[in-house]
Amino acid sequence: MSNHSASHDHAAVHDHAHGGLGKYIAVFAALCFLTTMSFFTYSPAWPWRDQPQVGWAFMMAVSCTKALLVVLFFMHVWWEANWKYVLTIPAAMMALFLVIMLVPDIGMRNRMVSQERAIHMARPADVLLLQKAQEAGHSEAAAH
Amino acid sequence: MSAPAISAPHDHGHGDGHHGHIHLQYQPGLPLSRGKLIMWLFLSTEIMFFAALLGSYIVLRFGAAVWPKPHHVHLSEPLGAFNTFVLICSSVTVVLALEAAKANKTSLAKIWMLATLLLGALFLGVKAYEYQAKFAHGIFPQAPHGLIYERPDLYYGSAVRDRLDNLRKVPVSQVPAALRLPDDTKAKPGDTVDVLKRLDEAPEGSLNAEQQRARTAFQLVQKMVMNLDQQAYDMAVIADQVAPLPSEGAAGAAGHGGGHGINDAFPWLRLPMVIPGGNMWASTYFLLTGFHAVHVAVGLIVFTVLLGYTLGPKNAGMIENAGLYWHFVDLVWIFLFPVLYLF
Repeated sequence: MSNHSASHDHAAVHDHAHGGLGKYIAVFAALCFLTTMSFFTYSPAWPWRDQPQVGWAFMMAVSCTKALLVVLFFMHVWWEANWKYVLTIPAAMMALFLVIMLVPDIGMRNRMVSQERAIHMARPADVLLLQKAQEAGHSEAAAH
Repeated sequence: MSAPAISAPHDHGHGDGHHGHIHLQYQPGLPLSRGKLIMWLFLSTEIMFFAALLGSYIVLRFGAAVWPKPHHVHLSEPLGAFNTFVLICSSVTVVLALEAAKANKTSLAKIWMLATLLLGALFLGVKAYEYQAKFAHGIFPQAPHGLIYERPDLYYGSAVRDRLDNLRKVPVSQVPAALRLPDDTKAKPGDTVDVLKRLDEAPEGSLNAEQQRARTAFQLVQKMVMNLDQQAYDMAVIADQVAPLPSEGAAGAAGHGGGHGINDAFPWLRLPMVIPGGNMWASTYFLLTGFHAVHVAVGLIVFTVLLGYTLGPKNAGMIENAGLYWHFVDLVWIFLFPVLYLF
């Protein structure tokens, strides 16, 4: 099985079945639209600015849709035979396990912290303190 | 499509008569070329590689007590969105290059391939610009300790004081150009200069309005760190004078502007600054975007090599494999962009 015959077969058999400029342009337009959508969460017009979780869920949904479009159409997975499941599903599951395995030690690392770490780690109160100092500085500058 | 497989004789034990014979068995091959199979195997390891990186980032980020807002670390969302657009365009051009090659339009394929190469280079250029903006603000991971401090506390105050002490003995060769005096040229090796004093005594006309403001703040900080028996609030004031956290929307284009601190007006002072959660942020940001940038660079090398071939149906398999890799790199960025810039 040479590369030549493989690609030739591919070109001869599949080209009429899938691909085509129109389809790629459509996917491109969809990707651009979806990127604008996730960027929309950054704009002042986004209605859930005080609930970041809504934006996170929305952006993850948008990203997964974009990833699916790229994988299915640009990477031609839509037209591939069943081997695609053998490679992608175990890898995706492994990827998920890798993340979940980090949760107890890393994700929950701040539930119980040593005294030493507590001394040095940032706290939300520090951000407030910095903002307070900044506001005081601004009003002082305005007074002068 | 079937690949012939050679199977060795199993009956070593008894059949002497069969010795030396080879049975040929036909086994069905996978319906894809070997190159593509290997590329997909490689990509499945890459899925796990980036999932581990991205997953660690998400787990670290949501497990952290404080995480900096994008504008605190001078991230520019419009630049990130622009880079997303650039990579999507490059994914389209590589698909078009493959289609053109399959249709034996070799010169058209080469144009699309060149466009992909240029778009990839543009992505890396924007990324380099963003990195430079971070470095200019003193944001980078560094051992044993970079400029970023987590809290405005006594440790931070003493770090500022240590840095100020160091600035009292700066080798003449390292004195910033703006603070050089004609006499400095006569200095002997080993001579040092008190650059703080020079900054204090710099004539009014030599500093612009921003630097003038920064010098006032700088004198305040010097006065404050004389006595470290102070309240956390005073440390916050020092931190705010050195490098105030930019307010929302102030990061602006490329993360420049926004800051009116001492470090912004006199970057060479390199005073320690406070960004709560900033160290972990810097580590994850540079690790994630760095590994992604390395992948982009590898893709650019592959495209450069491919440009040396005739991009016809004969080499379509190579373009397809390079394209698969490139789409994967695009895919990773599709997740990196919202997670790093918009979360």
